[in-house]
Amino acid sequence: MALLNSDIVLATQVAVSGNRRAFDELVRRYQSPVRRFFLSQTMGDEQLSDDLAQDTFIKAYMSIASFRGLASFKTWLMRIAYNVFYDHTRKRQIAVSDWQLAESQQPTAKSQQPIAMDLYAALALLKPDERTCITLQLIDGYDIAGIAKITQMKEGTVKSHLSRGKEKLANYLRQNGYDRR
Amino acid sequence: MDMTEDNDLLLKQFFQQAAQQQIADNGFTERVMQHLPQHTSLAARRTLLTRLWTAFCIVVFAVLFVAFHGWELLTIQFEVMLQTLSVQTFSINLLMAATVLFGLLFVGVGEVISSEIARR
Repeated sequence: MALLNSDIVLATQVAVSGNRRAFDELVRRYQSPVRRFFLSQTMGDEQLSDDLAQDTFIKAYMSIASFRGLASFKTWLMRIAYNVFYDHTRKRQIAVSDWQLAESQQPTAKSQQPIAMDLYAALALLKPDERTCITLQLIDGYDIAGIAKITQMKEGTVKSHLSRGKEKLANYLRQNGYDRR
Repeated sequence: MDMTEDNDLLLKQFFQQAAQQQIADNGFTERVMQHLPQHTSLAARRTLLTRLWTAFCIVVFAVLFVAFHGWELLTIQFEVMLQTLSVQTFSINLLMAATVLFGLLFVGVGEVISSEIARR
């Protein structure tokens, strides 16, 4: 039964016969990690996160025939999500100047709990690549090889981003008394 | 405990709640399904036709193989190859290396193309 419902079987049903019910199941399974990834990258902007997550699933549906099962379906999906966010950031950088971008990168979570506000405020200190590597490791649980696969960065680059990002975050947390809690 | 381990522990505690957070669907899947293009069923049909064509070619090959006693041709080729291998080891090995290299290149190019499609 588990085999019948595995990601590869569902993806094959979508690719070969355009089975929308199978794709519905895949969206239900992975909407949470994909939307959580975008919430971390946009620092809590729910509307933007849902729009980007929707784009991700539509792109996945359009290119599902290219899923070969070499990596897990989730990793393949997260790679599309990363590319969607990368394209979005690039378009936004063209549209607004740097100072406007810095202004707009403040945490935007509105109805979140205080811990979420702190999380997004801390993530706002990081550069986009550092933020991506940090959240993929500490929230989604990917190892360095997994992050490199998703972001198509070299493992050494991922390690540098993680190291710099962790240093900044740890300093921020200590300044705000998190080491005493 | 050194500074790096100290930082890792602090960050692990800080991100623990976010790592356990599950986002409720709240109609998200339905919205995605409503926005899916019809296009892919056409692409799927094209894929199905390609596979049918491949299956047809395999059947034709199998019929021709039996009709023309392909195994006899293969046996002769194999014997010739073995004889040549004992005489011209270096050139045959070179040929085999080239074949493997070509195979790897073929798979590699296929992977690059498929990853580009996934990127778009």
